Amino acid sequence: MHKFYMELIRMRFLTMLAYRVNYYSGIIIYAINIGAYYFLWGAIYGGQQQLGGLSVAQMTSYVAIAWMSRAFYFNNIDMEIAQDVREGKVAIEMIRPYNYLSVKTAQAFGEGIFRFLFFAGPGIFLISLIIPFHFPATAQGWGLYLLSLLFAFLINTQVNLLTGLLTFFMFRNDGMIRAKRVIVDLMSGLVLPISFFPGWAQTLMGFLPFQAINYYPSLIFTGVTSAARAWQLIGFQVIWMVVILIPILILWRMARSRLVVQGG
Amino acid sequence: MQNAKHIYSIFADYLSQYFKTRLAYRADFLGDLASNLISELINLVFIIVVFQHVPLMGGWSRDEIIFIYGFFLVPYALFSIFFGFWDFNERYIIRGEMDRILTRPVHNLAQVCLESIAPDRIFGVISGLIIMGYAAIQLKLDFYWYDPIIFIVLSVSGALIYGGVYTAVSAISFFSDSRTGISPMIYNIQQYGRYPVDVYNKIIRFVLTYILPFAFVGVYPAAYFLRKETWYIYAAMTPVVAVIFFGIGLLVWNIGVSKYRGAGS
Amino acid sequence: MIQVKQLQKEFRIHQSRAGLGGAFRDLFSREYKTVKAVDNLSFTVEEGEMFALIGENGAGKSTTIKMLTGILTPSSGDIVINGFVPFKEREDYVRSIGVVFGQRSQLWWDLSPLESFRLLKSVYKVDDTAGEKWLERLIEELDIGSFVSQPVRKLSLGQRMRCEVAASLIHKPRLLFLDEPTVGLDVLVKQKIREFLRNLNETEKMTILLTTHDVSDIEALCKRVLVMDKGKLIFDGLLSDLKEHWGNGTEVSFQMKKRTKASELRNVLGDMPCTIEQINDYSLRVQVPRSQEMLPFVLSTVMASFDVSDVKIMETSTEDIVRNIYRTDGEVASHA
Repeated sequence: MHKFYMELIRMRFLTMLAYRVNYYSGIIIYAINIGAYYFLWGAIYGGQQQLGGLSVAQMTSYVAIAWMSRAFYFNNIDMEIAQDVREGKVAIEMIRPYNYLSVKTAQAFGEGIFRFLFFAGPGIFLISLIIPFHFPATAQGWGLYLLSLLFAFLINTQVNLLTGLLTFFMFRNDGMIRAKRVIVDLMSGLVLPISFFPGWAQTLMGFLPFQAINYYPSLIFTGVTSAARAWQLIGFQVIWMVVILIPILILWRMARSRLVVQGG
Repeated sequence: MQNAKHIYSIFADYLSQYFKTRLAYRADFLGDLASNLISELINLVFIIVVFQHVPLMGGWSRDEIIFIYGFFLVPYALFSIFFGFWDFNERYIIRGEMDRILTRPVHNLAQVCLESIAPDRIFGVISGLIIMGYAAIQLKLDFYWYDPIIFIVLSVSGALIYGGVYTAVSAISFFSDSRTGISPMIYNIQQYGRYPVDVYNKIIRFVLTYILPFAFVGVYPAAYFLRKETWYIYAAMTPVVAVIFFGIGLLVWNIGVSKYRGAGS
Repeated sequence: MIQVKQLQKEFRIHQSRAGLGGAFRDLFSREYKTVKAVDNLSFTVEEGEMFALIGENGAGKSTTIKMLTGILTPSSGDIVINGFVPFKEREDYVRSIGVVFGQRSQLWWDLSPLESFRLLKSVYKVDDTAGEKWLERLIEELDIGSFVSQPVRKLSLGQRMRCEVAASLIHKPRLLFLDEPTVGLDVLVKQKIREFLRNLNETEKMTILLTTHDVSDIEALCKRVLVMDKGKLIFDGLLSDLKEHWGNGTEVSFQMKKRTKASELRNVLGDMPCTIEQINDYSLRVQVPRSQEMLPFVLSTVMASFDVSDVKIMETSTEDIVRNIYRTDGEVASHA
């Protein structure tokens, strides 16, 4: 079984390699996005030393690493699930001797590794040549970031599984999936560090899992947090991961029984 | 000209076809509407939150930035109505629908546009107008009697600029033999040009003006209504840029069609 | 009406390298192989002809049809149809042709065929009164009136296919292309479509070209057959000639009531040029090279001399013929 999932990850990795126009356009998009936000933030800071608890230098690192982290955790498995459901492929997936959701997660992971190695890796290197950029100083800092990034991937994938599973009950939910994507981008701290939001909004977002997807790992990377605080953030991520697992399992069970009733 | 007239006359037929199909999936209709509204709001949230920390961004005030964003939404919505073929590669190239398109006596790009027309995106125009109206009141802007006409010309030009770039990008599918992910590119494209280009450095400003001229969709034309005289020339150039870039898009598309390989054997 | 001269179409096909390292190298440089899908094809067709283009999968049939309909641009060579060069004057040219792709629909999935017809009428600028009459005739002759206002997704394949044919004829083209029009249809629907096409050809003098895998399609409809193999035209002539020259002839198997030996059969048939094969004690197979002259003789002689319980006659399939031609792999046979 373990071997099977490894094979899935490898397959998706190879598939990603095959679509080279995708690859090149992805690099352009990420480069422009990071560049645009970098200058935008430069203009926003103007002469000011610190905004929302971050210095200009930290903000620069934050913007770059937030996009790079996104390269790893971002995937479209909710769209893929929706398509499988609409085209009736999911019924076939159900009779196969594996868990559909784990398969999707493995595929997303293969995609994530690809993007991390081929987008984020070269991207970070290029950006560090052009704009002032701070890497974590210690091996421990790197380790904490990567660990936190892994959980970020898992939580985002779970959120996607959740929206994807809703397709079983709504048939068409492309609109919702797209709305979720922009909401995640905003609430995860990709476009704005959470510390920029007014107090009441920060409190509200504390009750939501989205900042565990980007804000936590990016904070750890920029070195704004102490190691102790970093462990605490990773702890939050683990809690969120367990919490989101519950509705997924419930929805999955409901979806399966629904499929049996309808006969696919 | 004869052709354009014909396209215009079948436009109404496609429109009614669209509404008949759409009535079958009402939930989807509402979902799309909500998702578009949410994306518009979230971009607004960014502006509002940032300006809680600073009074100016590169010399532009909050309401000016909001006005530019509101303006940008109008050409973007017009563009989305007519250029909704974000799944072009999947639907027309891989599944081979282009074969059918090419055996019909209407220009093929026009057919693709008409088949994926999305009139519900007209709501983007409405939210754009509301946002602009709010900002205009805050800024106490004055308008001349001919400004609405200029507004329409600039909006249509902006939509054509997007359309031209989008058409050229979509046409990559004709040349490449692999799946091409043009939809994420388009999703991201709308990010740029919403903010004043003078906040960016020279290279990005150059790109947004001459290579992917999205500054002509937001800042430049909006600067006219904000009475920023330094940008007047750029605003006036918008229709010219539109004609050039739409022409380039069409040219790339037509070359692409002649390289079309068809699906299957 | 159709003139094709030295038509060629080449494709560049990307060769994937194997493995992870190969995929990585593909990202930066690719290897291509050039394939000639259509190689030096020439033929002419008169107005009102009804003919079939056949060949194995990958022989270049679809590519040829796509060039004839203006979808693909030829690598070299000339095509002139109805006075147009298809890929150059596409929009004017396609007004004079109709195309049915068996695998692909031109109808709106969620709407009724009638809605699609209405839209196509405005696309083709079909004159209203005459167009209306013509459409009525199509609906009547194809017998689609009873379901033409149901959504397409609720129609059976046979019903949909007849609507597809109607949709492709809405503008009364002079030339009709059908690419695998009867795949997956049951016998009755096939017959209906064939009858309709034959009638159309007779009353309107419409030129009809079809590609097919179904030999009964060709037999029912076409006199002339073009055979392609590996992009080349290897036969152009009458169906009867094709069978005479390249067919295995006809196979007749006899089931006898008593034990019968091949030599006994040979005795009654004399020196008739046919092969006789013993299948088991009671059944024998006779291979007749030219069916028209010999089949009646073989049948009547055997039936008269033996106690026959069952007879099966098997015609050579088009696939067999194509395979035979391919095996000979010789000069281009032309009997046009």
